[in-house]
Amino acid sequence: MGLRDAFTSWFRIKGRSLEHVSFAIRRLTGIIMAFYLLGHLVDITTLLAGPEAYSQLLNLFAGPMGVVIDSFLWAVLVIHGTLGIYSAIVEMGFLLEHRRKLLVIAWICALLFILLGVEVIINVLR
Amino acid sequence: MRYKVVIRRYKDGRISFDTFEVEANPSESVLDVVERISIEKDKTLVFEHACHHGVCGACGMVINGVERLACITRIGDVARNGVVVLEPLRGFKVISDLAVDKSRMFGRYRHVAPSTLEKLELRLNNAVSIPREKLYDCLECGICYSACPIANTFPEYLGPSLLALISRSGNERVPRVVDSRRGVWGCHAAFECSVRCPVNFKPGESILKLRRNIISGRVRVEG
Repeated sequence: MGLRDAFTSWFRIKGRSLEHVSFAIRRLTGIIMAFYLLGHLVDITTLLAGPEAYSQLLNLFAGPMGVVIDSFLWAVLVIHGTLGIYSAIVEMGFLLEHRRKLLVIAWICALLFILLGVEVIINVLR
Repeated sequence: MRYKVVIRRYKDGRISFDTFEVEANPSESVLDVVERISIEKDKTLVFEHACHHGVCGACGMVINGVERLACITRIGDVARNGVVVLEPLRGFKVISDLAVDKSRMFGRYRHVAPSTLEKLELRLNNAVSIPREKLYDCLECGICYSACPIANTFPEYLGPSLLALISRSGNERVPRVVDSRRGVWGCHAAFECSVRCPVNFKPGESILKLRRNIISGRVRVEG
């Protein structure tokens, strides 16, 4: 079983239920966060080249592109977190009869937290 | 109405897609149409079927990307712009065309010995509780294996239907393999097995209930 088979199976969303699509998105956001962590390790290692090099790198993300990237990362984090809480509850065998409602609530919470976070990123942190 | 039926063929190690144009009533089952193609157009087409009324579980296949029993699926309900694509179930070795080798599923029954009857409790007037038993609803069609993203990528996984049978058997002891990554801990709650199950056997829910019972000690692990 190769990586291609695994990806094809995880991310096959055509004709799939909300539960499976959420499972796929949970995995995808997890993979994105793992790559972000690697990228972040790379960017903080520029400190070895001196504070100027690190500041120059950070300046790349100071403009509108930074807002987009920060908002995207926030959305990824929130979706992974809310779907992770849903997953933890049902995987422990609780609320199985209400899992669809729980999943819808998780998505609504995710969207609200994303909007709130983007608002903070645009108007408070910038 | 005229339908284009595209069938994934597998012969002598080669994969191809053949298109057959057929005249069919939208209320006809996909299995009826496949049988007609086999009789009238291509006698080498390989597929499985038996009961024709959704009980034997032999005719499970992927119809326009979704796992279904061909005998209880109306062609008019699943065709998109008159096109129906038929593929074998995923997660199993393809024998030929639409026929798969389900020994991956049946072979696992040697690991565990679920009872043949599901234990239920019947309540009369909400007062008297009468234990009773019924035959399992599971058709052993393999649709849950095909739909499950874990069973598709982790060949050692015992699989949704088998774990659900163990869960519903009501046994107080289960073998060690059930309490492992190959067993209940392999499930990651995608629930596609439950959504696609043609008899609403709810494998996903049953697996996670069994997991909870193992954690709480209501079901003991032996071996």
